[in-house]
Amino acid sequence: MESKRSPDIKKSPIISSILSMIIPGLGQFYSGSLMRGVVFFITVLITVLMVRWWGNDLLYTGIAITWLWNIWDSYNFAKDRRLSYTVPFLIIALILYIIGWGVTEINIPRLLTDIADIKPLVTNLIKPAVLERDKEILKAEVLFELPCSESPPGKGEPIEDKPYLILIDKTCGEPGDMFTIEGGNFWPNSKVYIWWSNYAGEMAYRIRYKGDYLSFETDGEGRIAPITVPAQEPFAEAKGKGPQLWRVQARMTREVGSPHLSHTFFLVVEKMIETVFLALMATTLAIFLAIPVSFLAARNLMGGNPITISIYYIIRTVLNSLRSIEPLIMAIIFVVWVGLGPFAGVLALAVHSIAALGKLYSEAVESIDPGPIEAVTATGANHLQTIVYAVIPQIIPPYLAFTIYRWDINVRMSTIIGFVGGGGIGYLLQQWIRLLMYKDAGVAVWAIAIVVAIMDYASAKAREKIV
Amino acid sequence: MLKIKSLTKIYEDGTVALKDVSFEVPDGEFMIILGLSGAGKSTLLRCINRLIEPTKGNIIWDEKDITKASDEELRKIRRNIGMIFQEFNLVERSSVITNVLSGRLGYVKTLSSVFHRFPKKERERAFQNLNRVGIADLAHKRADELSGGQRQRVGIARALMQEPHLMLADEPVASLDPVLAHTILRYLEQLNQEDGITVICSLHFLDLVRRYGTQVVGLKDGRVVFQGLPEEITDQRFKEIYGEEAERITVT
Repeated sequence: MESKRSPDIKKSPIISSILSMIIPGLGQFYSGSLMRGVVFFITVLITVLMVRWWGNDLLYTGIAITWLWNIWDSYNFAKDRRLSYTVPFLIIALILYIIGWGVTEINIPRLLTDIADIKPLVTNLIKPAVLERDKEILKAEVLFELPCSESPPGKGEPIEDKPYLILIDKTCGEPGDMFTIEGGNFWPNSKVYIWWSNYAGEMAYRIRYKGDYLSFETDGEGRIAPITVPAQEPFAEAKGKGPQLWRVQARMTREVGSPHLSHTFFLVVEKMIETVFLALMATTLAIFLAIPVSFLAARNLMGGNPITISIYYIIRTVLNSLRSIEPLIMAIIFVVWVGLGPFAGVLALAVHSIAALGKLYSEAVESIDPGPIEAVTATGANHLQTIVYAVIPQIIPPYLAFTIYRWDINVRMSTIIGFVGGGGIGYLLQQWIRLLMYKDAGVAVWAIAIVVAIMDYASAKAREKIV
Repeated sequence: MLKIKSLTKIYEDGTVALKDVSFEVPDGEFMIILGLSGAGKSTLLRCINRLIEPTKGNIIWDEKDITKASDEELRKIRRNIGMIFQEFNLVERSSVITNVLSGRLGYVKTLSSVFHRFPKKERERAFQNLNRVGIADLAHKRADELSGGQRQRVGIARALMQEPHLMLADEPVASLDPVLAHTILRYLEQLNQEDGITVICSLHFLDLVRRYGTQVVGLKDGRVVFQGLPEEITDQRFKEIYGEEAERITVT
């Protein structure tokens, strides 16, 4: 950015300074350097706008110093003396970094104070739910009426040899009323949860009381001592329809049998296979389309006449614009187009890969050595023979290397393309994280880590063989 | 007999590489093209087999005008003109034998050659030619594993596959050390004397010119400034070709 000025034109340092005082850079422009003037003007303008937007008036001090420096520079520049940019550069950089710190809400102390929040995630991720045991459920229930009718239900009877639940104080009431239940014949010394269900039994949830799930320990003989339970609000569609019966349930579960591979594990394996195939299909599709495209995007092949060179520029522009769109964004577009699922992911990765490989391949074509082509042509070989003997041997190794590189990227990308509905393991991972099912998410994370590592190793080996 | 008549080459950027160059090469000669880098030696050699299209002039070889040949005729003509290069121009990642066989492409069927299938007798011919330049044992190595001298020998074997009547050698020893330079030039000399192949070879060093050449054409700035026998190049002549400040460098 060397400022040039013809020395024979004399400029007044005073006028130059005054101009720069009014508008930064104007003095430098007056003294003969458009470049220096524009740079000053734009820098100060952007900084002022940034400070105004983010709103810390202290920072205007820095701008004021830069403005003063600019007047001083303008004065010197008119006398054909050039000052170094260092001082204003450092001040502006400082201002921008201060704003950047604020805009991105950097908060180092939070990293330490909130460290406990990450604990359940990390501990569950390192204990993935690969193995599980079968669950056995023991259940007893009693009816409760909301609100009271003419003939409320009975209190229930203790049953021999089977778990039972009975109401003690009342069998009907209003939502929010406390009532007492007791029971017996449960597994001894185990935890019981109290559930609330509609009469049909298809809608049920665990009752919370003061924030926690209601739960009780059974005694040594499997009895539930009398406990109080809040009557729940009726479900939405049952509201205002008069007295209705609800089921109050005591449920307990225990794990039985030996550990076996979990449902989550099989689900992850299935989706992981889908993921690898997704990467394979996308990469293969991209290879077949990128090869012809790469010839059209190679300058040394297309430079011949105006038509081919304009095709070259069109293809290059299309490739560059496609490449600038991230595969995740592309996947969102294709999900809208072809619906949720791996096909959208394949298309998104393939389109991005065509653009990336097309460019890399065409650069490989551009960098071939013309010598062998010349030599083979000189033997009297025809065009096809020349391509087979002099061009293809030269482009195969870079093509393979770039393809492996792309394959690596696609394996990684295919694991997260599911975050936006593009199929593969990412869909599960994203759901489990949102549902706070960290143990299941852990299985997916480990599967991704293992598969990506294996693929990396394999392609590194393949690359050694080729290059 | 090769006759070059008023050959002119002007590149697209306006550079005049050859200006009205005329000379004759009788069959069986070892013709040296002498000149500085940029004098037009490479352009001249490449115009002969039309790797570069001449702007004006004619090249008559055995009564045929190469400059007027159609594509198909040109390929037939090229088959009979071998060429070796300063940078060898081998396909680095292909094997030696594949490089040598590629010299025969003008003769074999296109379809089978595309699938790298050559008749048995062509493979035998390739081994004979490798044997001739003393590197038959390297046939299955990749070209990029070879030393410079070995590569140029592969280049010669490739050209021999064409059974050429004329051999163009563009600075064949400029990338090699002096000892290897002699080895390579002796192979060319052998082809010239034993097989009767006409050789047109561009060179830098006067000692090599005197040792191997039977005829010399001196080029300077695209014009012929000397034509005659190697012995006729006096120091004065040498300076006319190479410029006043030139010193003779001895190659042993």
